[in-house]
Amino acid sequence: MIKEKEFVKVIKAHEAIIFKITTIYTYNREDQKDLYQDVVFHLWKSFDSFRNEAKISTWMYRVALNTALTHINKVKRQPFPVSIDEVVVQQLENYDSSFEEKLKIMYAHIKQLNILEKGLILLFLEGRKYDEISEITGLSTTNVGTRISRIKKKLKEQISK
Amino acid sequence: MQQVWQEMSLELDKQKKLTNDIIMKMTQEKYSNRFKTISVYETLGAVICYVMAMYILSNFSKLDTWYLQFCGIFTLLYLTTLPILVLRSLKRIQHLDISHKNYKETLYAYTKEKKNLLLLQKVAVVGSFLVMFSSLPVFSKLIAKKDFFAITFGPSFYISSLVVLLFLFFFARWGYRSYLKITNSAENILKELEQND
Repeated sequence: MIKEKEFVKVIKAHEAIIFKITTIYTYNREDQKDLYQDVVFHLWKSFDSFRNEAKISTWMYRVALNTALTHINKVKRQPFPVSIDEVVVQQLENYDSSFEEKLKIMYAHIKQLNILEKGLILLFLEGRKYDEISEITGLSTTNVGTRISRIKKKLKEQISK
Repeated sequence: MQQVWQEMSLELDKQKKLTNDIIMKMTQEKYSNRFKTISVYETLGAVICYVMAMYILSNFSKLDTWYLQFCGIFTLLYLTTLPILVLRSLKRIQHLDISHKNYKETLYAYTKEKKNLLLLQKVAVVGSFLVMFSSLPVFSKLIAKKDFFAITFGPSFYISSLVVLLFLFFFARWGYRSYLKITNSAENILKELEQND
């Protein structure tokens, strides 16, 4: 019971992280909801190991990104054991239209990146330090820096087209 | 872009949509995914294969010539080995430990398992053609009690054989393509990782 309470507290405090990751790795609302559920499911499964070792953010990003990676292309539209309507995820709502347009453009460009680049740019935009990105991804700190520079360049080229 | 991201993050932090109940439901209930759907088909296929294998095995003594016995053994091996290998491969993908590995390790493990699954599918496609030829004489002997190699067939047999072959070809191609669809660009990323890290 204590474990459940702790878990709920952690998820509630970081639901935005899950939302952002699931938005980047999916292409429609249904897939996003499915991935969201999958991420929470895996976070719950690994909650004990988190409590013993890692930092909340590192653990959450690692599990969520790994789930997204293995989730890609395997989603099948089927009746869900948990009704879709019950799995409420955050909406990008109440934004003014110009900001919404900016968001759409940003997501469109990020979604053009490959699976590894998506993860790296997400962690960078989240303000994670290279050391933490290195810990989450398993790449060396230098490599993280080089790759992020390359991704930035790629995004600039994409946007300026 | 960073500014837009930060602004969005601030807005998202204000929105709290999840309830305790929903979170706990998500931890308990399993979702449906393509690998699980494939597993259902593969399990069903495996059951059918094993029923057929049991039938051949229990009537093996009726295969009274060396070539019928050879066809019987080949069919038995195919029906009993391949479904197990495919199911084991699917299980490995489904039970990949993503909680303790980092992103790079997960990518390696996932791609390795997918490649293994794809290889098995390639073997299955080729094998299904061979098994069609090996199982015909076996079932002809066991069900119709006729030696397939001693029968003189009319044109209708060749036409229906062609239809079956065509069906098998398109079915095998469809199956193979659906697996190819699952194995995406991860391997290219893997190569990229190996080159630069």
